[in-house]
Amino acid sequence: MSGIRKWYPLILIVSAPLLVALTISISILYGAKDMDAQTIIQALFHFDPNQIDHQIIMQSRLPRAISTMLIGAFLAVSGALMQGMTRNYLASPSIMGVSDGSVLMITLCMILLPGASSLTMIVYSLIGSAIGAGIVFGLAWLLPNGTSPVRMAILGTIIGTFMSGVTEAAATYFQVSQSVSFWYNARLDQIDPVMIRMIIPFAIAGLLLALILARSITVLSMGDEIAAGLGQRTGLIKGLSMLAVVLLTGVSVALAGKIAFVGLLVPHMTRYLVGVDYRRVIPCCALFGGISLGWCDILSRWVNAPFETPIGVITALFGVPFFLYLIRRKGGKTNEN
Amino acid sequence: MKTDSIRRLLLVVCGLLLLIMTTFYISLTNGTFDLSVGDIVKTLLRVDPVAAHDLVIFDFRLPRIVLAMLIGLGLGIAGAVIQGVTRNGLADPGMLGINAGASMAVVLFMLIFKQSLELTGWLAFMAMPLFGLCGGVAAVILIFWFARSNGRLEPQQLILVGIAVSSGFSAVTLYLSLRMNPDDFEAAAVWLAGSLHSANWQYITAMLPWLLILIPYIWRKSTLLDVMQLHDETALSLGVPLTAQRQRLILAAVGLVAACVSVSGGIGFVGLIAPHIARRVVGLHHSRLLPISGLVGMLMVVLGDLIGKTIFAPAQLAAGIVISIIGVPYFVYLLFRSRT
Repeated sequence: MSGIRKWYPLILIVSAPLLVALTISISILYGAKDMDAQTIIQALFHFDPNQIDHQIIMQSRLPRAISTMLIGAFLAVSGALMQGMTRNYLASPSIMGVSDGSVLMITLCMILLPGASSLTMIVYSLIGSAIGAGIVFGLAWLLPNGTSPVRMAILGTIIGTFMSGVTEAAATYFQVSQSVSFWYNARLDQIDPVMIRMIIPFAIAGLLLALILARSITVLSMGDEIAAGLGQRTGLIKGLSMLAVVLLTGVSVALAGKIAFVGLLVPHMTRYLVGVDYRRVIPCCALFGGISLGWCDILSRWVNAPFETPIGVITALFGVPFFLYLIRRKGGKTNEN
Repeated sequence: MKTDSIRRLLLVVCGLLLLIMTTFYISLTNGTFDLSVGDIVKTLLRVDPVAAHDLVIFDFRLPRIVLAMLIGLGLGIAGAVIQGVTRNGLADPGMLGINAGASMAVVLFMLIFKQSLELTGWLAFMAMPLFGLCGGVAAVILIFWFARSNGRLEPQQLILVGIAVSSGFSAVTLYLSLRMNPDDFEAAAVWLAGSLHSANWQYITAMLPWLLILIPYIWRKSTLLDVMQLHDETALSLGVPLTAQRQRLILAAVGLVAACVSVSGGIGFVGLIAPHIARRVVGLHHSRLLPISGLVGMLMVVLGDLIGKTIFAPAQLAAGIVISIIGVPYFVYLLFRSRT
């Protein structure tokens, strides 16, 4: 931490609101129908329900921009928590099967309780996250040397494949494939506005928990022995972090389906910029995650305009090379950063 | 001792063939349109043919079953070769991204040629596996380049790199398939899921030459595969040009996979499980392992397809998904057993 790097956190804090505002406004400006800045300002401050442009902005563009950024933030924080807690540089909600668990439970919810309310759906999604994480971490714990980064990542992806296979089988059998495909392909244009309001309490709980735990995660990321030696109750901290991960991933899957690689990539980026203190990493991750996914969404509307490309394609575009780079650079080593 | 092992081999082959024939029979008779054994025999022997029976058997059911058998055969053998060459019991063409690479190339082919040149009919069907081969080879080069650290291949790192490469290729495939016009997209989506739904005789003729050339080629090299199980130094001191032979074998295996993928989309886990079962039953000699692995693969795909189309009727679940649901627990079991 010398020279200019010392100033990174300060620069980030100052520029954060600007970056967020910039991302949101570009996300609103750009789309199938181009808006000009004046219309947006008018729509925001003098909303006129009779104007179609205002309706588009308030009903479609703005909720989309905000929810995309929230999802990015949740996934990035989940990833950071998982990476810090397990000291596994490949940990992230999509790789460890957490997202697939959610998709599976949402599918079951749609089969068992057709026409379920948004709240039920969210609860099912949370249960699913917990099940997904439970299976993967449980198996990793049972396997000899199962918590090594590479083994755990293989286990996570394979369990993810299994759960998505079961999801597809169940969806085909009960013929709800069409309604489930939304959660599969993460189409951000179809986010349910009611759902956005419903997730807020869960999300706040998850984020607060993450912030409270940040200090302990820093200690934990030095290794279980050191943490225990410093008097930390590692079991409790791990359990609570897992709860935060389940809350944050669960709500983001309930909102927009499975989006891969955000939770993997953003925490690495953030740690590179602000260091390893999770009291800084977690808020910065939320910020970066939101901004990155916001830009991915803008890109996804741009690459094949006027059609939308699933956002997973864009995140994979950045995520896969980075993933490969990580594996090549670090191999099977257990190393938190 | 020797006669004993031959008897065992014969027993295994007969048992597998019996199982395959049973599945074949159930698959042929059951369905939305029920047929009796008599009907089938009559239709096959052309004794007073009924048009409806002809249609059901020759146009719908038979090509599908034959295709399933050929794909299983190809994937089973390809899996055994890849596991043998990499000495990695967890290797599988699907998980290593070869399927995904081949799929991407085939979708690219559909996108480019079906729109501009109107290149339909035989030529298109025959050219598809070639494109698949290019994609598969690209995937293999990427995987080995990324997984090689300090000159050696770390088995589990290889799998993980494969997973990453395959998710990258699938993302590109998704993007490409969304650029197609809706009709082609529908076809591509059905095909990508590893479904045998649209099987026809053209597909079979497209993939058959590949199997006919590559399988004997690989089988002839089975002693070489045995030698490759030894330490590299030992194999080299026996005078085996390892690198060159490895490359040829991998290329042949990728060719098989590409031929299968170009007609059925990605079906995973067959290449993983079939060699393991085969090794259990007939031991480590590749001259036996390869054909048995092919037969087990055949049985798996035919059975997977049967399950997918009967249990989920009237909807159909792609054989690839059925097999992956069965395959994952087996993979986890293998992961448990392998130490390091």
